[in-house]
Amino acid sequence: MASKRNNGSGGTSHALMVKETISAYLFLLPFLIFFVGFVLIPMVMCLRTSFFDSTMGRADIFVGLQNYVTMWNDEIFRKALLNTVIIVVVAVPTVTAFSLWVASVIYQMGGRLRSFYRCIFYLPVVTGTVAVTVVWKWMFNYYYGLVNYLGKTVGAIENNVNWLGNEKTALWCIILILFTTSIGQPIVLYVSALGNVDPSLVEAAEVDGATNLQTFWRIKWPQVMPTTLYILVITTINSFQCFALIQLLTSGGPNHSTDTIMYYIYYKAFKLFEYGYGNAMGVFLAVVIALFSAVQFLVAGKNNE
Amino acid sequence: MKKFLAVFLVLAMALSLAACGGAGTSSSQPAGGSSSGGETTGSKTAITLWTYPIGNWQKAETVDQFIAAFNAEYPDIEVTVEYLDYTNGDDKVTTAIEANNTPDIIFEGPERLVSNWGAKGLMVDLADLWDEEALADISAVSEAVVNACKGSDGVYYEYPLCMTAHCMAINYELFEAAGALQYIDQDTRSWTTDNFVKALQALKDYGQGINTIVYCGGQGGDQGTRALVNNLCSGTYTNADHTAYTANSPENIEALQLLADLNSQGLVTFDPGIQASEELQLFANGTAAMTLAWNASNEASYAEQVSFTPYAMNFPSDDGVAELCGGIWGFGIFDNGDDARIQAAKTFIEFIADNAEQGPASVAATGFFPVRASFGNVYEGTEDADRMATFASFLPNMGDYYNVIGGWTQQRTNWWNMLQEIGNGADVTTAANAFVEASNAEIA
Amino acid sequence: MNSSVRKRTPYRIVSAVIMALLAIFFVFPLYWIFTGSVKTAAAINAPAPQWFPMEPTMTNYNKLFSNPALLWLFNTIFIAVVAMAITCLTSAMAGYVLAKKRFYGRALLFTLIVCAMALPKQVILIPLLREMSALRLHDTLWAVILPTVGWPFGVFLMKQFSEGIPTEMLEAARIDGSGEARTFVSIVLPMVKPGIGALAIFTFITVWNDYFMQLIMLNSNTKLTISLGLAQLQAEMATDFGLIMAGASVAAIPILTVFICFQKYFTQGITMGAVKG
Repeated sequence: MASKRNNGSGGTSHALMVKETISAYLFLLPFLIFFVGFVLIPMVMCLRTSFFDSTMGRADIFVGLQNYVTMWNDEIFRKALLNTVIIVVVAVPTVTAFSLWVASVIYQMGGRLRSFYRCIFYLPVVTGTVAVTVVWKWMFNYYYGLVNYLGKTVGAIENNVNWLGNEKTALWCIILILFTTSIGQPIVLYVSALGNVDPSLVEAAEVDGATNLQTFWRIKWPQVMPTTLYILVITTINSFQCFALIQLLTSGGPNHSTDTIMYYIYYKAFKLFEYGYGNAMGVFLAVVIALFSAVQFLVAGKNNE
Repeated sequence: MKKFLAVFLVLAMALSLAACGGAGTSSSQPAGGSSSGGETTGSKTAITLWTYPIGNWQKAETVDQFIAAFNAEYPDIEVTVEYLDYTNGDDKVTTAIEANNTPDIIFEGPERLVSNWGAKGLMVDLADLWDEEALADISAVSEAVVNACKGSDGVYYEYPLCMTAHCMAINYELFEAAGALQYIDQDTRSWTTDNFVKALQALKDYGQGINTIVYCGGQGGDQGTRALVNNLCSGTYTNADHTAYTANSPENIEALQLLADLNSQGLVTFDPGIQASEELQLFANGTAAMTLAWNASNEASYAEQVSFTPYAMNFPSDDGVAELCGGIWGFGIFDNGDDARIQAAKTFIEFIADNAEQGPASVAATGFFPVRASFGNVYEGTEDADRMATFASFLPNMGDYYNVIGGWTQQRTNWWNMLQEIGNGADVTTAANAFVEASNAEIA
Repeated sequence: MNSSVRKRTPYRIVSAVIMALLAIFFVFPLYWIFTGSVKTAAAINAPAPQWFPMEPTMTNYNKLFSNPALLWLFNTIFIAVVAMAITCLTSAMAGYVLAKKRFYGRALLFTLIVCAMALPKQVILIPLLREMSALRLHDTLWAVILPTVGWPFGVFLMKQFSEGIPTEMLEAARIDGSGEARTFVSIVLPMVKPGIGALAIFTFITVWNDYFMQLIMLNSNTKLTISLGLAQLQAEMATDFGLIMAGASVAAIPILTVFICFQKYFTQGITMGAVKG
């Protein structure tokens, strides 16, 4: 906007703008080389390939929207989409609510204790996806996993349950692991956001006789709204992209009950070499994520007013 | 300021690490980018061999010996080896193909070499390796091997080294203790479907928790579950001319229904959570009473881990005569357009597979049996002689090699899914029909 | 905080207990990795778990290091450090300009950056693979480094930090006749140090966790990262959990160290990256 106003105001500022622009792009150049070369160009290629029947060992054939039509009629794709949506719909609100609760408990603690807890909840994020996944795979093991042992000890289950091998439980196990690796960052964000809430407002409310709960909803919640929004967006993006967990734990099984779009793209592209189709699903996923994020911004923006 | 200093120190440390790392990594890379396929420089030709885990061919100390023997005769060909596993190996080959970075030689079976990469036009025609002598020698062992190495276009994409018949195995001492040995014929190592069910019951009565696991978590080892299903009621996996899948034939549906019933009675365990390698491990550590993924090579690899006698068996069959799935392994060459390297790769394969001295040693390392009649018994006089004689006795039971049918990669996923559905209690007929419909659609 | 002198309500006691339990739940996998790595095969396959390794053994580590595990670790660190260094430099430069300069195309560029950030990185892997093969970089560590550097999150983060630089300081430098480059080095860089620290750690963690990209880009056994190496061990020795836990320990220790040492930068970086601008 500012540039437009400058434009109108006369030749000198235009010349200044040009000079600024040149020096700005010199600064931007190193980043742009990488950004354009390894992000933008592949994105454009991805979009282009999605209109082709592209596979290994022969030239691509233009097929228009065929890949998107196939996608629409592909039962497994729909199942993968459903699973992805389940993961997002379950994980995003629970991660957000849980991290807000944890943060509201620990932000009032002393400095040491607060960093301690913040650190603890961040551990699964930094342990590394693969390391976390393999240890969970062991704990969920049907034959000598810890979860079955504990379950039987406390009497919650009678016989060993094949957690990752059962259609009814596998997706929930994935969501649980995803949950433990997702809440670290939101907690850090909420702790700092809650710390920034104006204490005089809180005190005023307390003097007026508001209960803790009332204070929370009337004073703190609106103030942490931008943080909530950001957390919703990043958690949504993360949940949509859930891949390593699936590839290492279930390969999409049993009976496609843990297939996600991301995993299905990988399967189609790298196991069956259907690159065009894989890219079409990728484009679809990107659009869905963009829409989700936009909706969240809109909804949250309205609530904020 | 202290914080910044700390970060700065780490960065500096890291950078110096990176600097020596850069030197370290780039020195192993020929300048101007790399090609894992190697290069031709002057009189020396560098080629790459990628091998799937086939017996001792997954061990560097074995393969290095072979390469040393090769270099003693052909000092001008330099061979580098990369070892693949069955979980990520296919991905590596896929990305290598897509990146024009394929190895020269690859060691695996016809499902990949012929039906997959060969059919996509990525492999070199190996007709000159298949000379008259080789053809006669290999045909003398099995005509099926010859046919398996040929694509539907009649071109040879694989030059075979070894073969085996996949079987199953039982925990002998456990069967003895459970009184289940009476249900097997120890002379022919075979059993009927009825006796198989009785043995399962005996094991359960004895208190054995896990009898046999119908693993269906994906990846390799599918021959075990296929052989089990096909043998129980003498069904076939495909029709005779390999143009359609027949898993929904009445015999197969009967067999699948039987397995589903045994599953609900707790006599067999469908496990969509594990793969063949895990099932083997569970057998080896005594958790499961049998394995469906046995063969000579696996017996050798698990020998150290087992504290009981793994007793190799034919699959149970209603007529008592099993038809075992065959495994054929051999070499293929990726077409990288460099004649010198293709020639060098052929020289290497010829040495490894045909040389009168090296050939038998190459076969023995796989733990399987030669495809060439002239090699005779490669285990003669070794400590493995008796053990291998047992497995050799399974070879005549080898059934039709149907793996050359189209859509093999896709049908494997469909097969696992079908077993997963059945294990979770889905209707057997519906699941089998769905498998056949989906898999037949992939036969190009 | 002056309102922190509060009554010990039952809610607070209950929540303190729950927090402690949760802490155990979150630390446990890590504990299980470390203890599992020194357990014997018998202890691992026992029907009743051994809560503490009774007869610790180094067998698993010996088995692990018969694989090129140290090389994998080195590759990962190499990728992480190089990507970190380049990202910090390019992002600091770009972030500063986006925050402090008005120029043609700024709005468009910023929109592109924000959009790209929201897209799943994995969907561009297929074209990226083809690009890398065209550049003959496939199966080299650079195939992972270059796209990591191109990912625009760093620019976004550094823009947030650069917003905090007082414009008057930049003006003053300009009036003093300081060139753009000098202004950047002597004024901007010192002011965004915490941002660079945060970004460095972020990049490090990203590389450590970016399993999919590494899976596609790296092939040879000698080029693997520790994540890939661990996944490969898992594929080959599916149920040798002792060995796999040893691998997981080796994968986790460096990154945990970095995290614990620089926790503060982390917190700052995460917080700053979130503030919308």
